[in-house]
Amino acid sequence: MVTEEKKKELLAKLRTAVISYDEDTSKEAAQEALDVGMDANDAIFNGLVSGMVEVGKMFEAQEYFVPELLMCADALYAGLDILKPHVKQMDLGVKGSVVIGTVEGDVHDIGKNIVKMMFDVAGFTVYDLGRDVPLDKFVQEQLRTDSDLVCLSAMMTTTMTGMKKVIDDLRAKNPNVKIMIGGAPVSQDVADKYGADGYAKDATNALKDAINMIASLKKMKDEAETRKAK
Amino acid sequence: MTTMTARERVLKLFAGDELDRPPCFSGMGNVTTEGLKALNQKFAATHLDARMMAAAAASTYKLFGFEGAVAPFDLCIEAEALGCEINVYAHSEDLLYPTIKKKLIHNEAEMDIAIPSNVTERGRVPLMVETIQLLKKDIGSEAAVGSYVLGPFTLAGQIMELNDLLKLSFKKPDKIGRLLDQLSDVIIQVAGQYEKAGVDYITVREMGATSDVLSPRVFKSLILPYLKKIFEKIAVPSVLHICGKTNDIVPFMAESGAKAISVDQKNDVAETRKKLGPRALVFGNYDPYNVLVAGTPDLVRQTIRKCMDDGVSAVWPGCDIWPTVPPENFTAMMDEVRKYRR
Repeated sequence: MVTEEKKKELLAKLRTAVISYDEDTSKEAAQEALDVGMDANDAIFNGLVSGMVEVGKMFEAQEYFVPELLMCADALYAGLDILKPHVKQMDLGVKGSVVIGTVEGDVHDIGKNIVKMMFDVAGFTVYDLGRDVPLDKFVQEQLRTDSDLVCLSAMMTTTMTGMKKVIDDLRAKNPNVKIMIGGAPVSQDVADKYGADGYAKDATNALKDAINMIASLKKMKDEAETRKAK
Repeated sequence: MTTMTARERVLKLFAGDELDRPPCFSGMGNVTTEGLKALNQKFAATHLDARMMAAAAASTYKLFGFEGAVAPFDLCIEAEALGCEINVYAHSEDLLYPTIKKKLIHNEAEMDIAIPSNVTERGRVPLMVETIQLLKKDIGSEAAVGSYVLGPFTLAGQIMELNDLLKLSFKKPDKIGRLLDQLSDVIIQVAGQYEKAGVDYITVREMGATSDVLSPRVFKSLILPYLKKIFEKIAVPSVLHICGKTNDIVPFMAESGAKAISVDQKNDVAETRKKLGPRALVFGNYDPYNVLVAGTPDLVRQTIRKCMDDGVSAVWPGCDIWPTVPPENFTAMMDEVRKYRR
């Protein structure tokens, strides 16, 4: 069994590797964690993700900017790729699937990719449609995959208005699906106006909101099934 | 009673003359759906035809008295001339701006590019020259005619993956610097064509270098030198536009050599004014979507008044005018500016 001390050391190493955007150390520490028999889940959440949370804080404090954020994300993925096959079960209480993409006319996908990363670490099944995605593609993909959640991103005001169409169309075809929107021009106000279930200010918030939304969706489904059973 | 034309007012502003009120114009796209409707033109087709583009650009002056007319409306001109493929979304009835479909540089290994010697004869650069000439002929004696080019960093983001550009700016700034230097030459050449065609002013849009994305430190060390290189070569009045968080970089923007700087609604203009002094030309900074399109005429008036009270030298949007402006909002803006007195 791995000692508490060793565990602590490796978690700190993973965390620091992400913060200092060091892909090699992230890989090394991830492998070492597996070798000494550490729980992969623990290494991901208390090591890699803990580092990313700190990165988020540094970004907000303007110590880090987007280039650093991207490099930290690379370091996180480097460790995650090694740890993920060994994850026994994600302990978030809820698992789900999500369709994500940047809407048509918009070729910006950095924000979307950071949000996607959070879903990846949380063990969601992610259907990533990429960028500049024709609006009806979101609806088709949601129906095809029966995903719990659809996340729409727009970096420009000019494309943000397209999200309203997707939301209306999704609601018409599948009233239960949860919809989250995000991107530079998006605000809570816009989310309300467009009828989205959630608005993601940043990646960490996106994940928290998504978990809450899916939990409530699953509860609704269970209740409906219980009613049917009676 | 003055009988100054809109053009005279704008030129006086750039010359540093005192004005009774700021002009109301823009250096970025200013097409409106009202204008397109009046001309019976589709947005997607407007980018590909000089006559249509000129007519659409002039319509905002003709309909609302906006004091400048600017073409083009999209951000792909230089990238296309360099060999990128663009998408104008011809199938779409929505207002989608052209984007780059195929980049020139797909990874770090492809960064050594050769600039075509005839770059100003490629893509839509000749079409832009024709558009500017048509615009000048149509309204050039009354309204200011402008155009814009991208800044080198923003252009780099059009021709290569933004992800790579941002990371390499950090990891290999020398390599990015070489590319920015090459792109600066392209920008200077394109701007030179627009000058020859007769523009009254040119805006350099470097929104990729906003402090929302890049640190002020990297802006100063990596991007500012090339902006200086560009502004040194632009003979007509020039404007440097950067959107997003800019309060920390306005001194650098002012240092670039641009005649005026343009900032958006995230900038605290009163503070910028304090930093740069009373003579600096600061253009801005109303939100063209949340205020001009989505707001009420009252909100428009309040916002425009605040911009002027904060000390903008010209009432000017934070980005392209988003086309679906309700006519009453546009009229409210023009009216509020016209009745303002310093």
